[in-house]
Amino acid sequence: MGSSVSPSFPVPHKKLSLDIKGNKTDVVICSYDDHFLIIATQIGTMGTILHARKEEGVTIQPTFNVSVIFGKRDEPMLVACARQLIEQISSSGSSRPLVLSLGLKDHSAETLKGIVSAVIENRLW
Amino acid sequence: MAHDGDDDGVQITCFTDVSDDVTLHFQIIRLHKQIYAWIGCNSAKFGHLYAAAPTQPNNVVGVTSILGGASDNTGSSIARRLVLKTGLNIILACNIPKNSPMLEAGAEKKLVQKLISLGYTRPKSEGLSS
Repeated sequence: MGSSVSPSFPVPHKKLSLDIKGNKTDVVICSYDDHFLIIATQIGTMGTILHARKEEGVTIQPTFNVSVIFGKRDEPMLVACARQLIEQISSSGSSRPLVLSLGLKDHSAETLKGIVSAVIENRLW
Repeated sequence: MAHDGDDDGVQITCFTDVSDDVTLHFQIIRLHKQIYAWIGCNSAKFGHLYAAAPTQPNNVVGVTSILGGASDNTGSSIARRLVLKTGLNIILACNIPKNSPMLEAGAEKKLVQKLISLGYTRPKSEGLSS
């Protein structure tokens, strides 16, 4: 058994913390070979987890599939947040799907906008 | 090993282990009440995603597959045993190929050792029966 002297870890990540409406929000962005993972939490857990991907299709306009895979299925703002982010990822040229985890104290538009901006500013795509 | 985090916020630990021609990458993200871990076998693909947590009564673990685990449960038993050994609420992503029990066991052992050495495990971790 040994540990490697690897040039660099194969999954780059960024970590940041910001205040949104008085709530401390921790954000982590990770880039895997075939997925992006974004975690945004105010409650100390991953909360609701969503999956978003670009659909393969023949039309010029891309379509996106966004679904909740764990947690709250009745919060449309969370789905909207995932959709915004996958659209951003797609328009930057990447077709990698997104796993998005949102553990939030409130689901207001302002909070979700704050998260989307913070992620875009620190994007890995 | 790279460790990124202040005591109060999210802590991220990344490390790689090479043995017997297999390269295992590990990523541990510690949130206040939950741990996310990723195990990469020879690649940085995301793999299957599982959620596992202790349930009442206290010696039972609930595991669910959240992404990709339908016909191939590689990783679900790791997630379950991580909870048994550490008492933590776990989200695990794992791309270990199916039908590799030795590899799974080795990866699980290294991950548990690291969680213990980082001080993340609950004090009564040895109290959960398997």
